[in-house]
Amino acid sequence: MIPILVLDLGTELIGTNWRIFHWKNNYLIYNLYLVLSTPLFLYLFSILLALTRQQKRYYFGAAILLEVLVLYNFFFQQGPSEFNTYSNLLIQGANIILSCLAIARLAIGGRDEEAIILQDPRFCLNAMILLFSLVTLILLGLQKYIVVHDIEIRHKVLYFAIMPIANAVLYTGYSCAFLLCRMQTSK
Amino acid sequence: MPDANQQITSTIIAGTLILLFFGVLFLAMIVYYNYRRRQTAQEKKAMKAMFDQQLMQARLEVQEQAFTHISEEIHDNVGQLLSLAKMQLSSVEDSALVDQEILSSARENVARAIRELRNLSRSLHTGHISALGIRQAAEEEGQRITRAGQLLVSVTSEGSERDITEDKQLILFRIIQECLQNCVKHAGATNVNIGFTWYPDQLRVRVRDDGKGFDPEVTLRGPAKGLGLQNIRNRARLTGGSGIISSKPGEGTTVTVMMPYE
Repeated sequence: MIPILVLDLGTELIGTNWRIFHWKNNYLIYNLYLVLSTPLFLYLFSILLALTRQQKRYYFGAAILLEVLVLYNFFFQQGPSEFNTYSNLLIQGANIILSCLAIARLAIGGRDEEAIILQDPRFCLNAMILLFSLVTLILLGLQKYIVVHDIEIRHKVLYFAIMPIANAVLYTGYSCAFLLCRMQTSK
Repeated sequence: MPDANQQITSTIIAGTLILLFFGVLFLAMIVYYNYRRRQTAQEKKAMKAMFDQQLMQARLEVQEQAFTHISEEIHDNVGQLLSLAKMQLSSVEDSALVDQEILSSARENVARAIRELRNLSRSLHTGHISALGIRQAAEEEGQRITRAGQLLVSVTSEGSERDITEDKQLILFRIIQECLQNCVKHAGATNVNIGFTWYPDQLRVRVRDDGKGFDPEVTLRGPAKGLGLQNIRNRARLTGGSGIISSKPGEGTTVTVMMPYE
């Protein structure tokens, strides 16, 4: 979790202050984020899903394929200077499926039948990743269209109107998960 | 009529909201499923506890019946035989052929055996315990063990005594007996105190010995799994209360039973 947070923080810091580096836009840094964060998220899900040895084999096969597609898109398809919407669609789609599986596993496969799922940090984390991915799937998938056609809501670009809320939800989820982890370890 | 951009905006927002709705619905269903699962697990646990309690009660009833039967047998059969033997010994006392000292000693031994058996018979009999009341029955049991010479048992009581149901008195008495037996068999104790504290809503019985003590965790993991200790706890639970066993090697053992009157 810590490497993902460090990567998030670094990306947001550079992505917000991209003008300092005299770049035309900040797409490169977000594209790099997609490339670098994908293996970290996939590794995190592999832990959360508690896979068997055979399942792990299939999972890592699919994960490598996903990363190859993201890299192909970054270098050859859309390129680093354009926002990698295809990669984003793939990653958010994978996040939705994997977080749903992880939540289902927590609910059905948990050993302790009396455990309250809302107090489980893994549930908090996956739930927020799921909600964030559902919001960003369409919004970031249509990112270029929104910018080019200047699609606004209340005189604000749609992207800038919704993304801060989605980010706030995601980071609140992370914070809750950390808090619950801390409560559990102190117990 | 809305322009193209407005239509696109509405479609994007609607699509996002629908996806979000399904996501939230999925999460809500998971939380509800977890709630139902917990409820079922709790119900299952409560049913198991009730079943265990009924099983324990049935076992205790069988045990009490056996005790009563043994008590009656001692009183009606073995006791009668010993009384007869005592009379027979008395009748040959005047004979010049018999060594008077041995005869007198034999008669004393038989008389003592009769007394001990009578006491044992009483301590096993359910009716006797409820007739005496728990504190007095414990005192009598303490005296019986003290007379045997292995332990010095004292009984203390604080607060005003309250009425307890027959069943609870019996269970409590069996717990005290189990504790005293443990003191004799395992603890190597010389002094035992049975303390009754009568609180307004519950009774606390504390059996404290000065024996060699033990590590309860180790005993419960051992081959016998601390059956006696588990019995004490289970019996205490049966009264609606709790049983706490605290001991450390070299520091004696204290068994505390908290039992509500209602």
